[in-house]
Amino acid sequence: MQIGSRPIALSGDRDDRRVTPAKAGAQCLALLACAFILPAIAQLKIVATTAEMHSLASAVGGEAIAVSHLIPAGEDAESFQPRPQDLARIRAARAVLRVGVDYDLWLERLLRQAPGVVVIDASTDVALLDVRAGGVGPGDGHAHGRGNPHYWLDPANAEAITGTILEALAALDPPNARRYEANRLAFLARLDAKMAQWSSALRGAGALIAYHDTWPYFARRFRLRFVGFIETRPGIAPSAAHLADLLRIAKEEKVRAIVREPHQPPRDAAFLAERTGARVAVLASGVGAVREAVDYISLIDYNVRALAP
Amino acid sequence: MIDILALLALPALACVALVGIHAYFGLHVLRRNVIFVDLALAQVAALGATAAFLLGHAPQGLAAHVYALAFTLVAAALLASTRAWSARVPQEAQIGVIYVVAAAAALLLVDRAPQGAEHIRQILTGNILTVGWEELRWAIPLYAAVGLGYRFLARRLDGRGWLSEFLFYAAFGVVVTSSVGLAGVLLVFAFLIIPAAIGVLHADEFPRQLAIAWVAGVATALVGLGVSYAGDFSTGATLVCTYGAALAVAGVAYGLRLPHSSGATFEIAGRLGRWVGAAVLAASAIWIVVSPRTDQPVLDLLERVFPAIRSAYMDDKALDIAADAERHRERYGEEARKLRALEAERRWKGEPLDEIEVRKIGSFLKSYNEMMKGEEFVVREVRDRAREARRWWIGAVFTLFAASVLASPSIRSRRPKAGSPTPAGMARPADGRSIADR
Repeated sequence: MQIGSRPIALSGDRDDRRVTPAKAGAQCLALLACAFILPAIAQLKIVATTAEMHSLASAVGGEAIAVSHLIPAGEDAESFQPRPQDLARIRAARAVLRVGVDYDLWLERLLRQAPGVVVIDASTDVALLDVRAGGVGPGDGHAHGRGNPHYWLDPANAEAITGTILEALAALDPPNARRYEANRLAFLARLDAKMAQWSSALRGAGALIAYHDTWPYFARRFRLRFVGFIETRPGIAPSAAHLADLLRIAKEEKVRAIVREPHQPPRDAAFLAERTGARVAVLASGVGAVREAVDYISLIDYNVRALAP
Repeated sequence: MIDILALLALPALACVALVGIHAYFGLHVLRRNVIFVDLALAQVAALGATAAFLLGHAPQGLAAHVYALAFTLVAAALLASTRAWSARVPQEAQIGVIYVVAAAAALLLVDRAPQGAEHIRQILTGNILTVGWEELRWAIPLYAAVGLGYRFLARRLDGRGWLSEFLFYAAFGVVVTSSVGLAGVLLVFAFLIIPAAIGVLHADEFPRQLAIAWVAGVATALVGLGVSYAGDFSTGATLVCTYGAALAVAGVAYGLRLPHSSGATFEIAGRLGRWVGAAVLAASAIWIVVSPRTDQPVLDLLERVFPAIRSAYMDDKALDIAADAERHRERYGEEARKLRALEAERRWKGEPLDEIEVRKIGSFLKSYNEMMKGEEFVVREVRDRAREARRWWIGAVFTLFAASVLASPSIRSRRPKAGSPTPAGMARPADGRSIADR
């Protein structure tokens, strides 16, 4: 092939020297492929277990990484059942970003079938609450051995989580390390700008009752007081005595809101709310659980708005 | 107390309504031998509601109910049509197939609908404790209308094959779709089968069976609600277990009412109990000799009920070590509880804990938990060593108990004298056939 004043011929045929519309189309497609597919191949492939981890990884990796997540948004992460394509996604990825703290235990089986994939545990540098050791005991009100796993709901923990992600991405893709660091700092600055606004919005939120003990990190950051939980053991409906106790506490403590998540049964929360005059606040524990929570910052934003007095 | 009565009043009323309609349909279900049909129809209704949700309708809206009902009626038509196969393929097998296919199809649909799983769950997992007047206001007239309507139409359609079968499954499907949302799958199954089974055990005619089922069903529900409150147990699960116990009591009562059999029943039960007891004790004797350091279920149970048993095979030094370890374990537990309470309180009260303090508390909690496990290990180790040292002695005691259980005098059968009256309602019918033959 000779490149000069003559039209570019992509094949060696004698009569193919003219640029026909079909040839031009083919050339455009080839150029588009170079423009879009090659960068995609160059991107670092990361699979996150949840949508909120996906969002935090995207905040650090930006355009340089291609992130997907396994658990569909809005689905209860603790009862997730992987599908065959999930294994294919993990095998095709360089790294898997997990919540850890026994939250995504189902991942273990998949990881055994995908040797060589780097595992990033986002909980590594987080100060865990409700710590237990040596597994779950009969007196344990929450089914997680190492601590309460909903740590991403404290926006201040995003610093530790993104720090872990940054470290892993920089090790996997050293040429882009500075870019990842800049992305992370920009994200943390955006988060920081929101923190004061969130804290002031939640001042005076009053006593709360939650369906499940999902909110200790959120409560700690925004000084919220949860005085009881409807579900004391995961998956077990409350007893009459427990419900009577909650009604008494709600009246004594003047509970303002009964907190539940979209995937939790509405009946029990509505029952308490009706008898105590409290309102039901539907909070999202993950990105995509409600329409408004499209990324990490909008997730916290939504929860603050839903709970603000 | 008034608060509790107010809390349990609506669940009690719901139980009365649910027993009322389910005992009635339960008798028909037992007669047709389609025991698990309620599970299949509820699952099909859940599939219908999920399909409606996927098509963009509100989860609790009219369209979702219409879809659920339409799917249930299709399943009813299917069940009525396949009744003819039951000579070759038992209808329970067909019901099982409908159940698993509906459950699997719903899972596939859920996969395409965010928060879809919740809508299946809402249909299948009601909670009798939090049932509201808003729901009962609709459910009670619905049950009354379906029950009376079915009774009226069934008489007119009697013997008209497919239509009669379809009417039954459709009416039952409408009831189950509503009741499973109120009380959950497990409890609805108990309401359906157990009172009806008690009725069938103790009466021959339909009206008497229904009356017994209603009385037994309502009484059991009230006892179950009381036990749930007193024991702080989950209400639905407690009710199901209470119904199981009620059926067991009704079964024993049935055995005692059998003509000429009360003495024999006692004798057989006594002999069986002795043999089982002796076998368990003998097995425990062998097990402690062979493997004294592993779990010893009988000895562990006895020690739990009578802790003083330990002093029979542990010396003073071992008892002191174990008691000391127990004290330490309790102290560490108390320290851990205090730390947890402190951390929880400081989330909202006083000066917030910083990250380092939170990490310190986490680290202390881990340490306390490990130390508690260490003390538990000490207690277990001291006990196991003592059991190992005295295993022949403990084994001999178990063997002695086993032999004495076997040698204990048997309960003599009390055979009724000739000509004595048989218990009411259990007389052999005039045609000479037994109740089971009819």
